[in-house]
Amino acid sequence: MNTMLKILVLSLMTLGSVAVHADEWPAITKKARGQTIYFNAWGGSSRVNNYIRWAATEVKQKYGVVVKHVKITDIGDVVNRLLAEKSAHRTSGGSVDLMWINGENFKAMKKNQLLSGPFTEKLPNYRFVDTENKPTVLFDFTTPVDHMEAPWGMAQLVFMVDTARVTWHPSGMKQLLKFAKEHPGRVTYPAPPSFHGTTFIKQALLELATDRTPLYQAVALADFNRVTAPLWEFLDELRPYMWRKGKTFTHGAPEMKQLLNDGEIFISLSFNPNDASNAIANGELPDTVRTYVHESGTIGNTHFVGIPFNSNAKEGAMVFANYLMSPMAQLHKAKPSIWGDPTVLAVDKLNAKDRIMFNKLPLGIATLSPAALGKVLLEPDSSWVDALEKAWLRRYHK
Amino acid sequence: MTLVCFLSAIVIGLISTWTQAFGYMPSIGFNHFSVIHWIRLFSYPGFNSSLIATMISGIGATLLAFIFTFFLFAFSYHNQFWRLLDQALAPLLAVPHAAFAIGFLFLAAPSGWVLRLLSPGLTGFVVPPDWSLMKDAYGISLMLVMVLKEIPFLILMSLGALGRIDVRRSLAVGRSLGYETVQVWIKIILPQLYPKIRLALFAVLAYSLSVVDLALLVGPTAPPTMAVQVFRWFNDPDFEYRLLGAAGATLILLLVVSSIGLLYLLEAGVKLIFRSWLINGQRRSRFFLFSTLSNFLVLALVGVSIGVILVLLVWSFTWRWQFPDFLPATWSTQFWRNGVLQIGGPIWNTISTGITASFLAVILVIGCLENEILMLKRGLKTNTTKILWLIYLPLLIPQIAFLFGVQVTLVILRLDGIWLSLVWSHLLFVLPYVFLSLGPIYRSYDQRITDVAVTLCRSPWQAFLKVKLPMLMRPVLFSAAIGFSVSVAQYLPTLFIGAGRFDTITTEAVNLASGSDRRIVSVYALFQLLTPLMVFLSALFIPRFYFRQRKGMQI
Amino acid sequence: MLKLETVQIYIDGRPLFSSLSLEIKPGEIASIMGPSGCGKSTLLSAICGNLADVFVLSGDVSLNERTILALPMEKRRIGILFQDDLLFPHMNIAENLAFALPSEMEKPEKKEKIREALMKAGLSGFEKRDPETLSGGQRARVSLLRSLLAEPEAILLDEPFSKLDQELKDQIRSFVFETIRSMDIPALLVSHDHRDCPQGQIINLANQGE
Repeated sequence: MNTMLKILVLSLMTLGSVAVHADEWPAITKKARGQTIYFNAWGGSSRVNNYIRWAATEVKQKYGVVVKHVKITDIGDVVNRLLAEKSAHRTSGGSVDLMWINGENFKAMKKNQLLSGPFTEKLPNYRFVDTENKPTVLFDFTTPVDHMEAPWGMAQLVFMVDTARVTWHPSGMKQLLKFAKEHPGRVTYPAPPSFHGTTFIKQALLELATDRTPLYQAVALADFNRVTAPLWEFLDELRPYMWRKGKTFTHGAPEMKQLLNDGEIFISLSFNPNDASNAIANGELPDTVRTYVHESGTIGNTHFVGIPFNSNAKEGAMVFANYLMSPMAQLHKAKPSIWGDPTVLAVDKLNAKDRIMFNKLPLGIATLSPAALGKVLLEPDSSWVDALEKAWLRRYHK
Repeated sequence: MTLVCFLSAIVIGLISTWTQAFGYMPSIGFNHFSVIHWIRLFSYPGFNSSLIATMISGIGATLLAFIFTFFLFAFSYHNQFWRLLDQALAPLLAVPHAAFAIGFLFLAAPSGWVLRLLSPGLTGFVVPPDWSLMKDAYGISLMLVMVLKEIPFLILMSLGALGRIDVRRSLAVGRSLGYETVQVWIKIILPQLYPKIRLALFAVLAYSLSVVDLALLVGPTAPPTMAVQVFRWFNDPDFEYRLLGAAGATLILLLVVSSIGLLYLLEAGVKLIFRSWLINGQRRSRFFLFSTLSNFLVLALVGVSIGVILVLLVWSFTWRWQFPDFLPATWSTQFWRNGVLQIGGPIWNTISTGITASFLAVILVIGCLENEILMLKRGLKTNTTKILWLIYLPLLIPQIAFLFGVQVTLVILRLDGIWLSLVWSHLLFVLPYVFLSLGPIYRSYDQRITDVAVTLCRSPWQAFLKVKLPMLMRPVLFSAAIGFSVSVAQYLPTLFIGAGRFDTITTEAVNLASGSDRRIVSVYALFQLLTPLMVFLSALFIPRFYFRQRKGMQI
Repeated sequence: MLKLETVQIYIDGRPLFSSLSLEIKPGEIASIMGPSGCGKSTLLSAICGNLADVFVLSGDVSLNERTILALPMEKRRIGILFQDDLLFPHMNIAENLAFALPSEMEKPEKKEKIREALMKAGLSGFEKRDPETLSGGQRARVSLLRSLLAEPEAILLDEPFSKLDQELKDQIRSFVFETIRSMDIPALLVSHDHRDCPQGQIINLANQGE
C-alpha cells in the first residue's frame, strides 16, 4: 500500500516536472551538437551492440552527437574508473559520459555522488514512460530513482527449455528440483555474485519464503537465517543433481544458453523474454526451444542509463538518453529481429500511429505473449543482494 | 636510464596498491591504516580452495612445463621430430594465450570436438557427458592449458641459453666417456642450462600464479583462482571491495615472491642431494619408452595447436552444429562478414599499439646493447646480471599487483585513457621479451665485422646501418614479432590503463567468450591469432626475400 | 690396435677423400693433416661414433680385432679430445675426473686414482679447484686426464693444441704424447699444423682426396 502511494505521487510529480523543464531542451540540443560521448555499456551480446550502433548512427544524423560504445564485461570496471577519478578529484573531463547501470551499481553510485543529475525531467521523451504500470522505472531495486537515471528497457526473468529433449517443464522451484532429479546433471544456475545468478537466488527465495514482507525491507531488520532457511534447504537438495554436481558454475545466462544449445543442460534462463526467439533466429539455439515462466510470477526490472558526475559532454549524453526513450528507438529495440527488449513506454501514452506499430510487433516463435508472461514480481530491497551473495559464497565456495 | 623510467612506474603502482591494502583510500573516506582487509581476505568464503587452486595451477604449470621442456631436449634433440618442432616454434609462440584457451575449450570440453568425433559411435553419448573436464575445481585444466603454452616459450629461452654451451661437443665428450645421451643431458647440460633460464622460469611462475584472462576462460569458478577473485573485487560496485582487492593483489605478490624463494631452495637442495649422484659413474638408464613419449609430446604440442586452429575455423563458419554431429549441419559466412565489419576499430588499436610498442622496444633494446658494447670497449664492466633482473622485473611482479595503483596515479596526472599511455603500458611488458630474445644473439655477433666496416667507411653510423643491422635483420625482426605478439596478448593493461577507451582484439575476444555464441568468438579468436602470425611470417620471410641471393645469410 | 679399412665418407654422393686404410698400433700416435674442410674432423667423428646424419660411411673400422661400426658411441670405448677443454663448469676438478671413472669402483679407490693422476700431471692438490680458476694449460691437462681415466681402448684428438699459447704448446704437447704412450693405446691426432704431429705415421688427407 505504501509503495502504491509512492508510485502515484512520483508519477504525478514526473508529469509536472517534465512540463516545467520542457523549455530547457532546445538549449541542451544546441550545446550537444558536435559533442562526442563515451557510452559504457555491456558488450557481451552482438545483438545489443548492433542496436547501440544503430542508435548511435541515428543520433549522429539527427542531433550531430557522436556516440562511442565502450564495450565492457562488467559494469564494475566503469565504477572502478569513476572511483579512481573521484579519488583524484577529477571533476571534469571524465572518461565516461553515459553508462548502462541498474540495481546495486546505481545504489552505490547514488550514495557516493558519482552521478550527475537529476536530469530525466529535462528529457522530452520521459513523458511517455510508463510510470504507473511499470513501477520498476521509479524504483531501481527499491532505491528511488529520483530522476538520476533514464530508463530504456525492461527485463523479466524467464526460463527456456529444449522441448526436443524433455517432455515437461517445471512450473516453479519445487518442480525444478523434481526435474533435476529426473535429469541429473542437466540443471544449473549461474554463480552469484553474477547478475543472473543472484537473480535466480532471489527468485527462488521469493517463491520459497513463507512470508515475503521482510524481503521488501532492509535486510538488517529481518531474521536472515530464518527467512532464508527454505532457500538453502532447496539449494542444498538440488546440488548433487546439478550440472557438474554443483562443483562448478557458469558465469551467466549467455554461457548457459550455449550449454543449452549443446545439450549439456536442458533448462536455461534469461532476463529478456525474447531471448529464445532471437537465439533461434540467429542459429544459437535449436528451434525446439520454448520459453516459460513460473506460476507464481518472476522477477522483473528496468535497465537505465546514467551520467557520471565528471562528464564534460553531459548535454550530448542527455540527448542520447532521450533518444533511447523515443518511440522510434523503443520500437526498433522491441523488434525480435533486432533485440526484442520490451519497452519502458506506456503504449497508450503514444500517438495513434506509434501505438499501432507497437501492437503489430510480431512475437517470436518462442516468445510468450504479454498475458502469458504473467505476473512481474518486484525485486527485493537491494540490501538483500549483498547478504544473499555472501551467504551463498559461504555455503558453496568450498 | 630507460630502466629507471619503467621501474619508477612499477614502484609507484606497487606502493599505491600496498597502501590500499592497508585501508588507506581517502577518496572514498578511508583515512586510517588498518589490517582489517587482510582479516577479511583470509576469512573470505572459499579462500582456502582459491589459494590451493592458484598454487596447483601456478606452481604445477611451471614445474611441469620445465620438466617437459627438458624432457624434449633430452630425448628428442635434433631428431626428425625436432625439425618439426623447430619449424613450428614461431607459430606456436605466436598463438596468443586467450585464443589458444578458447580453442582448447572448444576442443576438449565435454561438448567439444573431440567428444563429437567419438560420439555417439564410440561412446554412445547423445548429449555431452557430465564430466568435469574443463574449469575443474582444482585448476588442473587451467594448468594443462598453461603448460601447453609455456613449453614453446621455455624451449625458445633454452635454445638461446644453449647457444652459449657447446652442446654438440659436450655430448661427444660425455658419450665418449661411456654415458648415454640422456645421462649426459641430465648430468652435464642441465646443470649448466638451469642457471641461464632461471629468470625465464620465474617469469613463467609469476605469470601462472597471477593470470586473469586464462583463468577466466578455463579456470575454476567456485571459487575462482586468487587472481580472478581479486579482479572481481576490483570491479565490485561496493567500494570497500577495492581495498580487499588490494590486499588480495598484495597477497598474490607475496605468493610469487615466496614461490621464487621456494624454487631457489629447491635448486640448492637438488644440488646438494644430487651432487654425488652426478659422479657416481652410473652410465645406463632405464629410459626405454621415454624417447617415444618425448616424440609423442612434440606431436601432441603441434597437434593440439593445429586442432585449436581447426576447431576455431570450423566454428567460425558454422550456422548450426549440434552435439554429437561430426561437423556442422549448416554453414554460414555471416559471422565472418559481421566480424570483418565490426573488427576495424579493435584491429587498428591492436596493430597500431603493437607495432609502436615493439618498434620502440627494439630501438631501446638495441640502444641498451650497443651501449653495453661501448662500455666494454672502454673497459668498464657491465653488471649484466643486475641489468637482467631489472629487465625481468615487470615480468616477475604480477600485473594485477600494481596495475590498479598505476591507473590511479595516471588519473591524477590526467594521463589515463591516452593512446600513448597505453603504448607505454604495453612497452613495459614487451621490452623484457624483446631483450630476452634479441640479447643472446646480439651479444654473440662478432663485433670485429663492424670494426672492419668502420675503418672502411669512416662512420660508425654507416657501419651500423649498412653492415650490422642488415646482418642482424632476421633476429631483430623476429624479436620485434615476439614483442608484437606480447602486445597483442595484453589484457589487464589495456583494461586498466586504457581506461576502456581502447578495444583490442584480446579484450573483445575475452569479452565475447563470456557470451553464448561460439561462432562470433571463434572469428575474434582467429583474428587475435592471425594478427601476430602475420607479423611473424613477415619477420621470417622479409629477410629470406631480401637476402635470397646470399647463401651466407640463410641460417 | 685401431684399424681402418677402405674408409670413405660421402656427402651428397661425393666422397670427401679417397679411400683410406690405416693401422695404428698400441702406443702409436698417428696424425692426419690437411687444410680446413678436407674432412679431418669428420673422419674423427666417424671413428668415435658421432657422425652427423648427412654423411654416409663405407668401409670398416675395428678396434682390437672387433668391428665397432655397429656400436653406439658410448659403447665404443674411444676417448675424444677437442680444442676446447670442455671441462664441466658446474663440477670441481675432482668431480670432473671422477665422472670418467666406472660406477663399480669404490669411492676411496676413485679418490686415490684421481690423486695419482693429478700428481703425474703436476697438479697435486687441485681436487677442489673450480675449472674457471685454472690456466689454459692446466685445463688442457685435466681434460686429457679425464679422457684417459675412463681407460679407453683408443683416443682421438681433434686439433687439441690450437687454442693454446705458443709457449705452452710444446710443454703440453710433450705431456700429452708421453701420457698417451704410457697408456699403450692407439691414438689418432688431427691438425693443420705439422708441428703438432709426433713421430710416426702422418697422412695428408688432401692428397687422399679428389
